[in-house]
Parts: sequence; structure tokens; C-alpha cells
Amino acid sequence: MKGFTFLTTEEVVKVHDATLQILENIGVSSSSEKFKELLLSNGCKEENGRIKLPADIVNKFLQKAPSTFKMRRRDDEPDLEIGARIGYSQICSGTPHVLDLETGKRRSYRLKDLEDLTRLGDALPNIDIVSCGVPTDVDEHGYMTTEVATMLRNTSKPARVPIESTVELPYIKELLALIAGGMDEFRENPFLYLEVSPLSPLDFAGLPADAIIELAQAGIPTGLIPCNMMGATGPMSLIGAVAQQNAEVVTGIVAAQMVNPGLPVIMSPRVTFIDMKSGAGLWAAPEVGLAGACSIQLAQHYNIPVSVSAFSVASKVPDQQSGYERCFNYICATLAGCDIYAAAGSLDNALIACYGQLVIDSEIASMGKRITRKIEVTDEALAVDVIAEVVNSKSSFLEQKHTRKFLRAGELWAPQISDRSTFAHWNEKGESIAQKARNTAADLLKTREPIMEPAAEKEIDRIIQSARK
Amino acid sequence: MIDQAMLDAAAASIVEQDKDKAEQVAREAVEKGLDPLAMISDGFTVGITRVGDLFDRGELFLPELIICSEIMKGVTEILNASIPAEDKKAGAKVLIATVEGDVHDIGKGIVVSLFNAHGFEVLDLGRDVPTMKIIEKAEEFGAQVIGTSALLTSTMEGQKKLEEALRKEGLRDKYKTIVGGAPVTERWAKRIGADAYAEDANDGVKKAFALLQ
Repeated sequence: MKGFTFLTTEEVVKVHDATLQILENIGVSSSSEKFKELLLSNGCKEENGRIKLPADIVNKFLQKAPSTFKMRRRDDEPDLEIGARIGYSQICSGTPHVLDLETGKRRSYRLKDLEDLTRLGDALPNIDIVSCGVPTDVDEHGYMTTEVATMLRNTSKPARVPIESTVELPYIKELLALIAGGMDEFRENPFLYLEVSPLSPLDFAGLPADAIIELAQAGIPTGLIPCNMMGATGPMSLIGAVAQQNAEVVTGIVAAQMVNPGLPVIMSPRVTFIDMKSGAGLWAAPEVGLAGACSIQLAQHYNIPVSVSAFSVASKVPDQQSGYERCFNYICATLAGCDIYAAAGSLDNALIACYGQLVIDSEIASMGKRITRKIEVTDEALAVDVIAEVVNSKSSFLEQKHTRKFLRAGELWAPQISDRSTFAHWNEKGESIAQKARNTAADLLKTREPIMEPAAEKEIDRIIQSARK
Repeated sequence: MIDQAMLDAAAASIVEQDKDKAEQVAREAVEKGLDPLAMISDGFTVGITRVGDLFDRGELFLPELIICSEIMKGVTEILNASIPAEDKKAGAKVLIATVEGDVHDIGKGIVVSLFNAHGFEVLDLGRDVPTMKIIEKAEEFGAQVIGTSALLTSTMEGQKKLEEALRKEGLRDKYKTIVGGAPVTERWAKRIGADAYAEDANDGVKKAFALLQ
């Protein structure tokens, strides 16, 4: 599919120019000496405590970022091709709450939820990358190590974790080396990426800034994920917020490429906004989708992989509102041509994780994959001769070999849970999609396939223990 | 007695978000030797209370609330200067800070404005504030409520440290504590022994009123 464009080429260049102006004239701030030193030793300048990034330096290092990289699945399924605009769906991170699978009521997210949502993500055919909520029953020491380990031992799909510092990086590297058979093997075929958040507007706090450098040194694929809020930590105008956000992402990418040219990176801008009547942070439609689509076009302009928040909504339950909100955000990303759709299975502005919603999101993603599949305009597909045959023989298309062939080849999207039966059949249970999705989630969680060998499990326990000390 | 027109002008200047007019009214009151306390309570406060109501009803946007709160702060400073020390009456005092290690404070700014609009006296310590500094300033300021915010799972610990330090210093019963921030939950508040969890700015004001009753 050719990407649907929200901005013209000239407009994309104009946003890029604004980005360069922001970086060259306003610059960024950071409390990390290492980060400042890195930028300054690579041609940036310090003025009034801010680091100014000249346009030629920005353009030079942006070009060093790879346009694609693979993320390995640790089973027999094909690797993920990040950068190929295939559109992979990723579980939401940072959720402190969950809708309980049995009661449907909101409660605190626990480590068991991370385990179960990872297993559910593993079982769902169109959830491609797992991520983690905020378990409230995990000790602060060894927190990230526990999260990473829990995901990797419950799925063979790639994982992604937003990090706040590199305090636990040594243990995470130990986990990765254990599973990959060495860090070199991991760097060759990564199955995890970590994300760091600049602080809007244009600030790189000490620990995250150091993290950008240390992840690049370790060769771990890195995402840059600022989350500015229109009218609060970014301009009220959507495209202004996109430009500022782009400047923040670009700075992180440039810094990572200065440390380790060719490091796989992902642009993960999240332009959000606040409810100006209450102050609540919103990740809702349609502006999150629209801003995401504009950011995707910028990433395409740079030829760098991109992720946006496609599944996020303000709705508190998996209802109609949750459905239409996520569809508007998702479709913007889909039409623009995105690599990673984030926030799958989320509700309430990425604050609630929901098992049933994750099942529904896998369904939405499969429809998205159908929509973005290229329409092959061949003589065979145009089927003029088949039409002639049917009309002349006064038969129907049902008898045609052409029909059987295209049907088998997947011309029609096949639902996993959507009901498309007759009314009478549906009426036997009279189930809503939310109920059905919840039941599907419960069924999928009943079976449990071990992902790791017992010896590796034991070794993981040891690494978690050492991180907790 | 202050002329009703003067009080109305004071209230209106706040509701109309007119900084120049508000300061002009305040200065005029000082020049005329009008009772500054009455100017605040029967004039400007009527305006800011109306602003708070409008915001609660969804008729006023947050940036408008913030500018009203700023104007209120400005005129209060002008009038306060002419209040004799023995007449100064304190409203409920709230200290607000983002905990150590956490540099996020946009949400906290909203909370500060809303507390101001509801007549609280607020001391905002800013972001990345060490535990002992929060306690030291709370003592100095004479706070009744301490509100802390944390946006990161790694900095939530700071809210726990504050509870522990207050207990250790034997000051825990002196203050009401409220915790907030995206990863913070009711469960966390209970676990660390905070008095309340506030989901958003409005909730924070409600919880503060409830705790102080």
C-alpha cells in the first residue's frame, strides 16, 4: 500500500526545517555532563547553558541511523522487520491498573498480570511485541530486571521496555546474554528494545540522558519516546507540538548515533494533550492519531523506523467508545504506514490494561494488516476473462476455479472473534464482543507452554536475585 | 465600609482575567487606605471563587484558571504588604512538591493553581525536592497538608521515604499527606501510610478539604 499522506512533501520539509531551527536556535538542556560532553565533542555548541545543534551535524548523524533492522522471534516464526512499514502491534506499557479478568473491575496491576498479559500476547496471532505495565507488588530493587525476565520467560515474541535509568542495565544485559548466548549474538539478532523519554520541552534529564549513551554503548536497540502535551509541555497547535516532539526525538537519535553509528533506533513520538477542563492527561482520538500520522511522515522522510500510540483511548471499559476512539487513532497510523502500533490492550489514557481489549486489538490489527496489504492489480486479479466466462456460460462465480483460488489465497479477511453469523445463531448466546473477548482471553490463558528450558529458568531466577540485592 | 463598586471591580477583574485592572484596583485600595483584608475576602476572593466554580463546571479552561490564579497571587501580594502583622489570618496551608529524582512538574502546576483558586495558601517547592527539604520547609511554612507527586515508578519511593521520615521525626500526626502522579494508586497510598491518594487536581482539592474537616 502506498502511504496515505496527511502532509505534502513540502509541508514535511517545512516541519523538518522548524525542527532544525528549534535545535540550532533554542537547543536542548541536560543535567548530564556526559550527554553535554558527547554533543559538544561532536560539533554542537553551548550557549547560555543550552546545547545548540547545528543543522549539518543533525543531518549528518540522522543519516547514520539504519532504515531497517530485524527483531528476532525466539521460535520458528519469521523475524520482525522493523522499518519495513509492516505495522506490528505492541502491548501497552506503564499501566498501573488492570481490569480484572474475572470481575471486570479496575484494580492494581500486579506481576501476575504482566505474566498473564505476556502469555496472552504470545497466544494472540496479531500481537507482535510485548511490553510491561507497572506491577505494584514488585520490590523497587530489581524492578526492571524482574519485568524484563518475566516477559522473556513468558513469550518468544520480542519485548520492549521503557526505562528511567540504566541502574539495572548490567542485570538486563546478563539476561539478554543468557538467552541469546552472548551479547554479540544479541546485538546480531536483538529480541528486545528499550525506550528512553526526553522531558518536554527539550530537556534531557540526567538519568535518561546517561541511559541513551549507555544503551548505545551496549548496542541495545533504542527508542526515543518523549510525551509532550499540547498546550502544557508543547504548543497548543498540533503541528507545533509535532515539530517540538520531533526535535526531541531527533536529538536522542543524533546522540545515540554519535556514540554508536548504525545503532538500531526507533522514533517513538507521543504527542498527547490534556483535558483543559480538568488537567487530566489524554491519549485520546483523534489528535493523538493525527499527530502520530504527521510524525510517521517525518520518520519516513528520515528513513528511520517509527512507533506511535495507535491503540490508546480515553474510554474506561472496552465499550463502543473504546472501539471508535482506537479505530480513529489506529487508522491514522495505518494509512500513514507505521512500523509499531503501541498501546494495545489499553484503556483510560494508557493507565488501565485490559485482557479482553488485547484480544480485540489483535482482531483490529489483523484487519489493519488486510487494509495495508498491497492490492495486486494484475490481469489475473482484474479477471476480465473470468467475467466473460461467467456471463457467456450463464453460470455464477461460485463455480469458478478463480474464485476458489483467490478465496484460499486470503482475499477475504478472516475474523478471529468478530461475530458475522446470522441473527438466530448469534442470538443463542447473545454475547457482546467485550464478553466474548474476555472469555477468549480466559480460554487462551488456560493452556501453558513453557518457553524456556528449566536450566535457563533457574539461571534467570539467580539473575533476578542478584538484581534485588 | 468599602464601596460595593470597588469590591465588584475587584471580583470582576479576576473573572475577566484582567491583570492590569486587578493590580490597579488593589493599588487604589491601598492608596485610599481601604481595609486590605476586606478587599481580599469580599472582593478578589469572590472573583477567584467564581473562577473555581466555573472551572469545576467545565466552563473555564485550565490555562484561564492558571492566569486567574496568577493575578490573584499578584493582588494578594500588593494588599498583604499593607496588612498589619497582627491582623494576618492564614488560610489552610498546603505544601506541594515533586519528590526527589523526579523532574516532572506540569501536573503539579495544575494542582497548585487549583488549590490557589480554592483559597488555600500554597507553597510550591518545585521538582526534584529531597525528603528532608520537604519536611524542613513544611515546618517553616506551617503547612497543614503536604502533597507530593511522582511520575516514575523509580521515584515513587520518595513518597514512601517522606512517610518514614515524618514518622521518624515524630511529625507524622502534624500533617495530612496526599500522594499523586500517574503510577501512584490508592493501594500505594495505603501501603506507605499516606492519608489520601488524589487521582487528579480536583480530587486533590476535595481530599484536602475532607482531611482538614
